Amino acid sequence: MKNLPILIVLLPLVAAQLCLVFSRIHRNVGRWLVITAVSASLVMSVMQLLNVIKDGPIHYYFGNYRAPIGIEFSIDTVNGIMLILVCVIGLLTFLFSSEFRVSSDKTIVGGMNTVLCLLITGLLGMTSTGDVFNLYVFLEITSLSAYCLIAMGGNKGVIAAYRYMLVGTVAATLYLLGVAVLYANTGTLNMADMAVLLNEGDKNKAMLLAMILFIAAFGIKMALFPFHGWQPAAYTHAETSARPLISGVMGKIPAYAMFRYLFCVYGTDFKYFDFILDVLGVLSVCAMLYGSIRAMGQKDMRKLLAYSSVAQIGYISLGFAIGTPLALAGAFLHMFGHAFMKAGLFFCVGAIVYRYGKFSLEDVGRLYKKMPITCGLLVLAALSMVGIPPAVGFFSKWYLGLAAAREAKWIYLAVLVISSLLNAVYFFRLIEKFFINPDKGLPQKRERGRIEASAWILIPVIVCFVAILALGLCNAKIVDVLLLTLGEVGL
Amino acid sequence: MRKVFSVIVICVALIVPFAMFEVMPQIGDPNSAPNSHVSVHYIENTQSIANSPNMVTSVIVDFRAFDTLLETTVMFLAGVCVMIILAGVYKTKKRVIDPGESKMLRVRSGEKVFRSINKDVIITLLQPMILVYAVYVLFHGEVSLGGGFQAGALIGTVLLLDAMAVPDKRNFPNITKGTSAMIAGIGTFIYATAGILTLIGGGLFLEYEKFPWNVPLLEQHSIGILMVEIGVTLGVAGTIVTIMNVLLEKVKFDK
Repeated sequence: MKNLPILIVLLPLVAAQLCLVFSRIHRNVGRWLVITAVSASLVMSVMQLLNVIKDGPIHYYFGNYRAPIGIEFSIDTVNGIMLILVCVIGLLTFLFSSEFRVSSDKTIVGGMNTVLCLLITGLLGMTSTGDVFNLYVFLEITSLSAYCLIAMGGNKGVIAAYRYMLVGTVAATLYLLGVAVLYANTGTLNMADMAVLLNEGDKNKAMLLAMILFIAAFGIKMALFPFHGWQPAAYTHAETSARPLISGVMGKIPAYAMFRYLFCVYGTDFKYFDFILDVLGVLSVCAMLYGSIRAMGQKDMRKLLAYSSVAQIGYISLGFAIGTPLALAGAFLHMFGHAFMKAGLFFCVGAIVYRYGKFSLEDVGRLYKKMPITCGLLVLAALSMVGIPPAVGFFSKWYLGLAAAREAKWIYLAVLVISSLLNAVYFFRLIEKFFINPDKGLPQKRERGRIEASAWILIPVIVCFVAILALGLCNAKIVDVLLLTLGEVGL
Repeated sequence: MRKVFSVIVICVALIVPFAMFEVMPQIGDPNSAPNSHVSVHYIENTQSIANSPNMVTSVIVDFRAFDTLLETTVMFLAGVCVMIILAGVYKTKKRVIDPGESKMLRVRSGEKVFRSINKDVIITLLQPMILVYAVYVLFHGEVSLGGGFQAGALIGTVLLLDAMAVPDKRNFPNITKGTSAMIAGIGTFIYATAGILTLIGGGLFLEYEKFPWNVPLLEQHSIGILMVEIGVTLGVAGTIVTIMNVLLEKVKFDK
């Protein structure tokens, strides 16, 4: 039991290392190995979360070297829940990807599974680590596998991946520069130790410089407003089978890392804390408006959803910018909810592509007659994005709005409402295209007498449907669990 | 306008950190934070805890071994990425014209028109020497300079020389890209095995003192470090050969 934190990360890592070997036998053996490992991680992360709720935070020291000497994994309720989220969406993406085969070559199929599994490993590691350099190494694994998965999406995917790689390398460098500044002033790489040492003596100027570098670095990685340039093309042209994981979870984990730095390493005693929060607030307000307005003009489903992600990331950083425990809980609830909504919408897009091979909004008229379950999830996720109860989107926006009103930040509240209305404009347009436009009579790519796409695509669709409703209905429980940790770190 | 704006942003971004440069300590200051906190512990205990006179080795494969496991995985991942992008997405274009018998075309396409002692004899002599040196570097990583990354690079160099210098006469068996990527994966797995064995022995991950066999404590650290170095060597060598194989499929060198 004491080894749970490492086993959650280790199993996908080992599965990825051995995936190519097992793919030699048959191309599906490697895939099932990886799926088994991720499912085992999912079970263990649930057990771990129950332990954390019962006994408080877990600290795991590698090689039994105590905190500042060795590397530490520290699990509290926030990243306990995030681990479950990454495992669930990773598992669903693997099931979904079995219908999209990039090549008939065993080596290349095995390589794809390896890279996808390492993406999950990187995200799990970034979530559980308590060491700033270890975070960088996991960030490197995450980014490298993401570049590869985006580049697999064909010719345009290669260009998008190249742009992302240039910008992403700058982000990684900025992060490392920030770590260097902090290391020069504290001499430690452990987050908890650093938090103690930063509060001794006058280090405000170095901390400010490092924080600006961190905001730029994580802003690029999570596609916050002025740094979002790589994101729409990357989400649009990524390999179809990996897109739900990339769009659903990959932007959230850097946001979580930013939260760690802001509230756990720096803490509210930092002299320029309000200034940093104001900067973050301005950026997220711009993101919420800009992303929604740009999404209104898109004709391609994937682009519409990608710009919508820019806006939704704005909601998450808005929660950080308000900074009270309630706002942070709202931001994290939105993170979990949006992961399922956006991954679910991209599962729907994948199902439509699987059957018809079309991405354009003009081609999908009256599709609900042919794909009722997929369109059901599409409507639910769209309504959740707009913020209609009982879907999770309503509750996360409710917590954010409540926190903004309690802090008397009326601009944030106004922008929250305006952005939700803009969401309504383009998501109802999406629904209109699916339900009211005339049927184009699209030719099927696969001529079989089925109503829906295949079972491996339907399982993720149904799970996302249930998850959006369940997160919405159980929101009070989740917020209570989150507040166990967040109550101590907020303003 | 957009270009001017971006140039201004870059200038500001470069000037501001330099203007704030006093936040960094003086170079070589013995009382600065990095020289007086954790690093002191590493320097004092490298011999007594990690049983390795080489401080760099003891930090990267003992005190912070988990980071190095992930760095090796990054290496393996890079090899796999190059393989699936180049071999998976694009068809090979035939760029080199087949020269046939025409001597002018043979010169232009880089095909060999004369033999040389450098290519045919010296390479064959050099390869075993580099291999011996690689093994030396591998086993000496623990006590002096060297280690798995360098040894892997040397082994990779030997295979690179073999494939590129005299393509029609291979001294080593030809390894396909799938096999070499597999070897890189197995190498990183050997590294992870060092951690898994300590878990089986009842310890924490990469706690070398808890290996499930019965030898003195300091020896266990040595065994752990050696196992890690072998894994890293295989991982790096496999990655280099993978990237080479994939690129060789795309272009032709002289025959």
